[in-house]
Amino acid sequence: MLKLKEQRRDALWGFLFIFPTYIGFLVFILGPLIAVAGISLTKFNIFGGSTFIGAENYGRLLSDDRLKIVYTNTVIFTVFAVFFNITVGLGLAVLLNKSLSSGLRTFFRSIFFFPVLIAHTYVAVIWQFLYARDTGVINYYLHMMGIGAISWLSDPGWVLASVIIMDVWKNTGFAMLIFLAGLQNIPSVYYEAAQIDGASATRRFGSITLPLLSPTIFFVLVIFMIGAIQVFDTIIVLTGGGPGDASRSVVMYIYEQAFQNFDLGYASAVAMTLFGIILVLTLGQFWFSRRWVHYE
Amino acid sequence: MATILQTGRPSTQKHQLEDRASAGQFLARALPVMVLSFGAFLVLLPLLWMFSTSLRPSAESYMLPPQWLPTQWHLENYAAVFQSNVPFVGLVLNSLKIAVAVTLGQLIFCSMAGFAFARLKFPGRNFLFILLLASLMVPTQVTVIPIFLIMKTLGLVDNHLSIILPGLVSAFGVFLMRQFYLTLPQELLDAARMDGAGVWTIYRKIAVPLSGPALSALAIISFNATWNNYFYPLVFLNSWEKMTLPQGIALLQGYMQSGNPAVVMAAVTLAILPILLIFIVAQRWIVDAFVQSGLKG
Repeated sequence: MLKLKEQRRDALWGFLFIFPTYIGFLVFILGPLIAVAGISLTKFNIFGGSTFIGAENYGRLLSDDRLKIVYTNTVIFTVFAVFFNITVGLGLAVLLNKSLSSGLRTFFRSIFFFPVLIAHTYVAVIWQFLYARDTGVINYYLHMMGIGAISWLSDPGWVLASVIIMDVWKNTGFAMLIFLAGLQNIPSVYYEAAQIDGASATRRFGSITLPLLSPTIFFVLVIFMIGAIQVFDTIIVLTGGGPGDASRSVVMYIYEQAFQNFDLGYASAVAMTLFGIILVLTLGQFWFSRRWVHYE
Repeated sequence: MATILQTGRPSTQKHQLEDRASAGQFLARALPVMVLSFGAFLVLLPLLWMFSTSLRPSAESYMLPPQWLPTQWHLENYAAVFQSNVPFVGLVLNSLKIAVAVTLGQLIFCSMAGFAFARLKFPGRNFLFILLLASLMVPTQVTVIPIFLIMKTLGLVDNHLSIILPGLVSAFGVFLMRQFYLTLPQELLDAARMDGAGVWTIYRKIAVPLSGPALSALAIISFNATWNNYFYPLVFLNSWEKMTLPQGIALLQGYMQSGNPAVVMAAVTLAILPILLIFIVAQRWIVDAFVQSGLKG
């Protein structure tokens, strides 16, 4: 009897404890997600009087040339930024993990990690000056190496590379940190055994480090991809999406359609495509990680 | 030395290997440090350039070859930040207010919900938890349009509440706290219950005091993310009185760098300096917090 009373009391407290979070979740996440799907089916008028137009906004997606450009930009950015963030981060982590005293390791780790804490906005403001064509520091050193001036921010062929380089400078330290934590979980007996068997450093990396680190690598890959697909702050401050649309990302396009053109219906349709991609990536993570990631 | 002494004894295979390696050992030791030093150099250069430019007369901002180290100490650029048309102090206070409110709110609400999902039994608990966790897949950029309409209806556009209220919900924070509360020994909670403690007392007097590490990790992640956030303020805040620091600095920079570089760099230095100081003091906790955010997120 008392037991039952206690159970009821627990349940009541349970609901009470999750109440604030759940109200917030319904009002600011689940509700808006359903609403954005609804708005994407309308010609939305912010001053009232929206009309239902079915899948018309989605039809418009297919014929929107700018959408193709912003998606191409976002995919290029994602592929290269993720690739370099992970390879550089992994390289730094491997170097840090080996043959360094712990004091030196902490010192280097702190330096590589620090840019992760700085807002994208500030990073972009600094790099804008470094990238300047005639007065910029980067072109000055390239010139000394005999390389002609590059219009980092105004040449459509270079502008995405500029965004990617800056992104790696800022974010690779996070990948490094997670990889370093992963590496330190690999028992050193494996390496000792391999060394006794005469395995080369390359062989040890390929046969021990990579397989045992694969869950971590896969995880970092997915979170970096999801983050990169949503790129906004970095680019809007560094290039404003220009020249033309050469560096405009999908989220910048959503922002423009929604809050500058006030075409909320169409912006919602674009947002739904982004949500779809992130959904597929996340679900794909579950599926893939069961199939080929090596768990110890 | 050790290897010479050992030559008389029957050496193991491992020792022979060490002998052979000794020739390349110096290079093997020095090379990683050299590569890491060069990498660290590349990471630090932009920040060094920022700092020394902030101390030069603005006419020399574009001086080439660049002088990386501060050679002059023109602090008037810093004074100019406070006298510029950008209300710097107000921006800092706005950012601080929003970040503190969101962080405190998350600490309270996430630890409560995390405790409930970990330690209290109620109908639908697992379903509700998984549904909440699934919301990690929903980017804020997708839901921002309806949230904007909500804020417009409530008259909260250009009000800090439009940033704070959505910021109070963190599925990540609930997850982090739940993982922590799952590790508390059951006997501890049972013993408190035997002594007649209610749920609130157990949470408040036992669970929360023990969850310092998890709470500090959540506080660090949440404060840093809110302090640096640009997208939400850009959508919701549009008057100088309400804007946040990242917005202000982006505007100070001006469209395609029309701002005065020395003053802009002084402002950016001021914006980054508190983070640097906190990082130096609390490096261990900050790094731990981000490792946790990575491994559990």
